[in-house]
Amino acid sequence: MLSIKGLKANVGDKEILKGLDLEIGRGEVHAIMGPNGSGKSTLAHVLSGREGYTVTGGSVTFEGQDLLDLEPEARAHLGLFLAFQYPVELPGVNNTYFLKAALNAIRKARGEPELDAVSFLRLMKEKLKVLHLDDSLLKRPVNFGFSGGEKKRNEIFQMAILEPKLAILDETDSGLDIDALRIVADGVNALRSPERSVILVTHYQRLLDYIQPDYVHVLAKGQIIRSGGKELALELEDKGYGWLGAEEAA
Amino acid sequence: MNATPGNGFAPWLADDGPAADTGLAWLDSRRAQARAQVRDQGIPTTKQEAWRYTSLTRLLEQGFTPTAKATTPLEPRDLEPLLVPGLEAYRVVLVNGRFVPGLSDLQHLPAGLRVGGLAQILKSDPDALKDRLNGVAGETQPLFAALNTAGLDDGVVVLLERGAQVERPIELIHLSVGMDEPRVAQPRHVVALEAGAQASLIERYVSLGEALYCTNSVLELSLGRDAVLKHQRIQTESANAFHIAGLYLSLGAGSRYQCVNVGLGASWARTDLNVRFAGEHAECDLQGLYLAGDRQLMDFHLDVDHRLPHCSSRENFKGILYGKGRAVFDGRVYVAKDAQRTDAAMSNRNLLLSEGAEVDTKPQLEINADDVKCSHGTTVGQIEPEQLFYLRSRGISAPLARRMLCLGFAGEILDCLTPDALRDQVAEQVGSRLEQAPID
Ligand SMILES: Nc1ncnc2c1ncn2[C@@H]1O[C@H](COP(=O)(O)OP(=O)(O)OP(=O)(O)O)[C@@H](O)[C@H]1O
Ligand SMILES: [Mg+2]
Repeated sequence: MLSIKGLKANVGDKEILKGLDLEIGRGEVHAIMGPNGSGKSTLAHVLSGREGYTVTGGSVTFEGQDLLDLEPEARAHLGLFLAFQYPVELPGVNNTYFLKAALNAIRKARGEPELDAVSFLRLMKEKLKVLHLDDSLLKRPVNFGFSGGEKKRNEIFQMAILEPKLAILDETDSGLDIDALRIVADGVNALRSPERSVILVTHYQRLLDYIQPDYVHVLAKGQIIRSGGKELALELEDKGYGWLGAEEAA
Repeated sequence: MNATPGNGFAPWLADDGPAADTGLAWLDSRRAQARAQVRDQGIPTTKQEAWRYTSLTRLLEQGFTPTAKATTPLEPRDLEPLLVPGLEAYRVVLVNGRFVPGLSDLQHLPAGLRVGGLAQILKSDPDALKDRLNGVAGETQPLFAALNTAGLDDGVVVLLERGAQVERPIELIHLSVGMDEPRVAQPRHVVALEAGAQASLIERYVSLGEALYCTNSVLELSLGRDAVLKHQRIQTESANAFHIAGLYLSLGAGSRYQCVNVGLGASWARTDLNVRFAGEHAECDLQGLYLAGDRQLMDFHLDVDHRLPHCSSRENFKGILYGKGRAVFDGRVYVAKDAQRTDAAMSNRNLLLSEGAEVDTKPQLEINADDVKCSHGTTVGQIEPEQLFYLRSRGISAPLARRMLCLGFAGEILDCLTPDALRDQVAEQVGSRLEQAPID
């Protein structure tokens, strides 16, 4: 589904991603862990097409297409979704209106008919329940004045509505209380299917108790330096990242 | 040397011009005085503060002629595309500055409300207007108001008696229809609410076709003690029009006034809002939204005079500029020495969608009292790339994403519009304007 080969990317003159390789198969859940500043969010942003990064090498193929060639909206149409580490506030932009525009843009791009207002509302009500979100959030501007946890849940709510093929969750678990963490995990698990894949960027083993990953990767200094099964996460929890760096140097 | 305005306005300035003799001595003398004033003042130049950013050259070059008294062949159904769908209102319609009873809907006015054409009322009941014409604008007027007074012949009169509370909005439609040659219409509106009266006034400037013409309107408004008025002004003149509006407001003790200004149309539009508090504990809320694109100028001047204590005013204007659009916001809040406990907050925020767009914003507070709460702020910014990316990452195309962000920016003002029918129509107009905007 997603194939990243030797990806190198700069911010300004600074190289952040330094030859990164990653293969994600259909239906798989991959966790990416790694120290602060190692390039996890940068990877997520480069994949979703944010401005400000220069790709200097390597390739990314998603669903058979050269992902790096596409505008951000075209990537979303292909089925890519990023849950932001820091969701952006959009004052004045109504949440419901926004989601409907997003869903219908994606449906249209796929040649599906747009959803009418009634079906859309029904869909929203259903997903709200799954994520235990209050429907007052729908009437408010996107993320505007939302608490940290509400913003994160709103990201997962959007994901639930848009039903992407590949969701990248950038530290969606950070700042969530224990109940919210379980709710978010339920939301992600509800989306899991043999067709859909997930990349979980996280610092904490706890999330992986709820969403069992198939693979765990360690991203450090712009590269994947270690990959393994979910036991790798436990090992990291125990020993930190130091031993990996040491191992690499040796 | 006293230059006179270009030939467009000259006819009104001749002592034997079309508006010379009305048969009302008091009116004739006020008009003569206004003519003299215009001749004495001459044309303002950009050296004068009030016209520093706005050149009159193009306006005065036009060969305007006064609108003839001709009746219009328009029928009510011609008006339909210009109405606000679903809006129920007492409707008064002017065509090219002249009151047209046949297009208006003034049946079943409730007790205490009087709405009619100015010319008619000058004929049938001039005493009702004698103290009100120039009553708020004063004897000494700036150029365009004086021109309006000099040429004064029609407009709309809205009078609410003491305590009259009118639920249904009063809608004033000023319709301009292209003529063979460019015309000037100079409607004069007089709105007065006596003590305790409450009403909602919707003032709309619309056109059929994209003709070149000029509207030079003056509205004098007075609110008696504890009166409440919501006033909404929607300017969607033809893309080639000149629009000039001078509003003169006198707010009585305890009165509450809200004005929501939306400027979308005309190639050159200048609005002056002059507010004077006439009693204590009055509240004035001025909201505004303007859009300007290529070959378009939107100029708003606010002059809020806190001469009495315990009054509050809000001035909140937002602009969206694109292409080579230009805007001017010049807001002045004056607080007199004795106007203690004044509460005033002025804000002007602008969103520039292109490099060629330009705004001159100049908020000024002149505070002479010491126990007051006053603030002002302005911003000129662009669409946040982070916000744009967020929307695009959800599959929304860049143009739609920009439009959504602009509408989000405008939403605060659009949400002041009532009823929803009006809000929805204006939001749609703003949306479609943005859709046509060439955004880099
Ligand atoms: N716009 C930018 N300008 C300058 N440096 C940047 C920019 N964006 C990212 N960086 C730098 O790139 C490096 C990687 O940042 P990134 O956000 O990808 O880290 P991360 O792995 O997500 O960290 P965290 O775990 O703290 O979220 C950091 O050193 C960061 O300072
Ligand atoms: Mg990060």
